Amino acid sequence: MTIVFDGVAAGMLLFLISIGLSVTLGLMNFVNLAHGAFAMLGGYVCVLLLGQAGWPFLLAVPTAAAAAALAGVVLERTLYRRLYAASHLDQVLFSIGIVFMSISAAHYFFGARQQPIMLPDFLLGQFVLPGIDVGIYRLFLIVIGLGLAYGLHWMVRRTRFGAQLRAAVDNPRAARGLGIDVDRVFTLAFALGSGLAGLGGALGVEMLGLDPGFPVKYMVYFLIVVAVGGSGNIHGSLIASLMLGLFDVCGKYYLPQVGAFIIYAVMVVMLIFKPQGLFGRSAAK
Amino acid sequence: MTAVLETRGLVKQFGGFIATSDVSLSVAAGARHALIGPNGAGKTTLINLLTGFLEPNAGAVILKGEDVTHLAQHQRVKRGLVRTFQINRLFADMTVLESVTLSVCERLGYGWNWWRPLAAHGAAVDEAAELLGTLRLLDVAHEKTRNLAYGRQRMIEIALALAAKPQVLLLDEPAAGVPTGESRELFDTIARLPREVTILLIEHDMELVFRFAERITVLVGGALLTEDVPEVIAKDKRVKEVYLGEALHD
Repeated sequence: MTIVFDGVAAGMLLFLISIGLSVTLGLMNFVNLAHGAFAMLGGYVCVLLLGQAGWPFLLAVPTAAAAAALAGVVLERTLYRRLYAASHLDQVLFSIGIVFMSISAAHYFFGARQQPIMLPDFLLGQFVLPGIDVGIYRLFLIVIGLGLAYGLHWMVRRTRFGAQLRAAVDNPRAARGLGIDVDRVFTLAFALGSGLAGLGGALGVEMLGLDPGFPVKYMVYFLIVVAVGGSGNIHGSLIASLMLGLFDVCGKYYLPQVGAFIIYAVMVVMLIFKPQGLFGRSAAK
Repeated sequence: MTAVLETRGLVKQFGGFIATSDVSLSVAAGARHALIGPNGAGKTTLINLLTGFLEPNAGAVILKGEDVTHLAQHQRVKRGLVRTFQINRLFADMTVLESVTLSVCERLGYGWNWWRPLAAHGAAVDEAAELLGTLRLLDVAHEKTRNLAYGRQRMIEIALALAAKPQVLLLDEPAAGVPTGESRELFDTIARLPREVTILLIEHDMELVFRFAERITVLVGGALLTEDVPEVIAKDKRVKEVYLGEALHD
């Protein structure tokens, strides 16, 4: 049971990072392979604020997310916006370029080494329930992930911003025809996606580690979540992340010799039977 | 009568192709004005230039005396220039009430208060419901747009446009693909709109055009051929040759 719990926590962390990609890919139809670069930025900002500035963890993490969101706004306004109408191949080539630039920048400023992170005392340790050892930080990740999934669902389905976003995604021309400032809506949505990546990156340092190779190392995981869950589908991304986390942790524990092969096999099988993902592409169900 | 919408020497080129050639048009306040022309005449290009979807190579668009040529689409909407689209299943994932409420909210300019639930904008929801009642769409208020019959989807387009309280309403083939009975109902609804709403209509169905319009502009090859009242247009030989066909008015 402990392995299952750890798998759920790993899946929830994956959800935290990947959901931003699901937003930009599914809702804005932009293939942003540089999503992991925003997560890495969040991770580095969090490490710096904790280690060098001495900020408390609960303040450093949202600040890291805000920094990634801000970077997202700047890049969206200056670069990404120009490629909304471009082909997916152009978007892939462009965002891969951003990935390599971010890796070089991380090397330059922080070196190649793994970054250490000091969690606050209240998130350390574990407690024992019948048949299960509950790591407090992992439980923290699960609670944050569930809260975020609910909050995002509520935002997209209920708020005026969510309605504007759904209208802008469904038909940007007609949305402009209603008086919606579609450019501003997309900027905010991109900032949201980047900020969520930054949040996941900051929370993930302890479990995933942090070095300049982060955006490439985990890129495939983020893409699997979106492919299996259905792009733009919040519920789908959550389920796909949990499945991926469970298969990954259980696979590594029970069949260490095949390692990550299991998750790729699962992905291939799922996409054969459900090419649109488990829950299909959707405007944020 | 004062012009509420004007174009002055409007030109639009796509490479070597001239889609709009020196078009100067004037639409009077409160007018029921139709824009007709054969396929490829440049009607939709002109509408796109008026609404800001396309930027002209030369010329100007004047709305209520203000030069709006370089304003974005949503800024023109805020100034009262609203259009409908030939789009099926507009905002298919939203309910009819949600879509219309969103349009009302945009007009009322709730600004940065984006995080409030749409349903919590009570005044906007009430106004949207009232509008749907006027258009006899209240029974489908909570239906998703994609589940509605085609004719009703087109009525929802009209509702969305009216929710923006337009001063000038550009209707781009509102009856296209709508069964005859429903298209009559749709045009009856349009005809009942108050005179404060100026209407510029693009429509292929000549019977509807001649029944509705008080003034008609004819475009051919991107240029303005003629403009006059329907009775004169119906007798104009050039118009018959290029568009109407002699049989229609023999």
